[in-house]
Amino acid sequence: MRDLRTERKGKILSVDNLPTLPPVLDEVTKMIEDENTSPKQIADVISKDQVLSAKVLKMVNSPVYGFPGRITTIHHALVLLGINVIRGIIISTAVFDVITSSMVGLWEHSLCTSTISKIIAEQINLKDPEEYAIAGLLHDLGKVIIAIQLPEEKKEIEEVQKKEDISYLEAEKKILGFGHDRVNAWLCDHWKLPLPTKEALAYHHNPSLAKFYPDFANVVHVADCISKVLEVGFSGDEIVPLLQKKSFLSLGLTFKKLAKIMDQVLENIIEVLTFIPK
Amino acid sequence: MQKIPLNKAKEGMVLAKPVLKDNGMVLISENTELKEDHIAILKKQGIKFIVVKGAPLDMSEGMYGFSIKNRIERLDYIFRKHKNDKWMQKVKKFFFIYFNYQLKKMENQGD
Repeated sequence: MRDLRTERKGKILSVDNLPTLPPVLDEVTKMIEDENTSPKQIADVISKDQVLSAKVLKMVNSPVYGFPGRITTIHHALVLLGINVIRGIIISTAVFDVITSSMVGLWEHSLCTSTISKIIAEQINLKDPEEYAIAGLLHDLGKVIIAIQLPEEKKEIEEVQKKEDISYLEAEKKILGFGHDRVNAWLCDHWKLPLPTKEALAYHHNPSLAKFYPDFANVVHVADCISKVLEVGFSGDEIVPLLQKKSFLSLGLTFKKLAKIMDQVLENIIEVLTFIPK
Repeated sequence: MQKIPLNKAKEGMVLAKPVLKDNGMVLISENTELKEDHIAILKKQGIKFIVVKGAPLDMSEGMYGFSIKNRIERLDYIFRKHKNDKWMQKVKKFFFIYFNYQLKKMENQGD
């Protein structure tokens, strides 16, 4: 079993079919390591790729972030959102085409979870709510990667999920021996994503395992559950996951606060539903 | 309060938030009752969404594939794995009450 698992991990991370991230991202990652780099310098590098810049600006101006007015330059976006968010957006644009073609409805589910993550972070006064939005946007990336790298197994997962009426995650574990949460952790290491994002992606089904940034895992966990109640898009099954009470309480949430969060979600849902970046 | 696409805007709706230009300048201030002229200006300025008072777009029956009635109907099914979990039953009850409250609010507005 262990050997099979190692072999599958290798297959999942084999670069042949893994969506390629824009080369700009490598350059930017290196630049961040140098403390003397200014946002303007980073913006100049990203702006060189015009197609990418247009996609990033479209996402930055999406209902997820809800800025009044329009952000028209990468530099402005960087100053407003920070480099971690922009990196996350670049990754999401790179995998967007694959998401929409490999799992119908997953993009909508991701966008909805992203919006809810940001709303929760705002309502409980966490710093930099946009970083939670990025974690929410990328939280099911592992599902997409499994679909691309192990297409046969993906079919089996879907069959088992339907036949046994179990969650998509349980089905993944049955067929592969691990779930998309594990794949998320590998990917985050592979793409050198920041630790808060990694913990959110890796532990959104089991937030109590997050050691360093529990808020991130908790927020995306709760947002994912709400997103499944709303059933915007499709994420592989029609089952609300177990909302961990500990997670809910440790964010200081109550049903009264949840009602406020839901008010915000419903206020913005039409805009989210009509937004599909291309 | 509801954020609606500009093409659903109608005369008589009242802005719950000001409409801003790209540079942050106020185009039309909040509490303005929309007239045809306003809507034409907003269109010209390329504004896509506005926030209006109340909930003029009826999401109870369905709007862009989302409906509150459908949410209430689906609760039993999507919570089917948690029948014996007291906490999850509480969560489900919360959503049941919440969606019904929203539904009632929307119906009252229609009168």
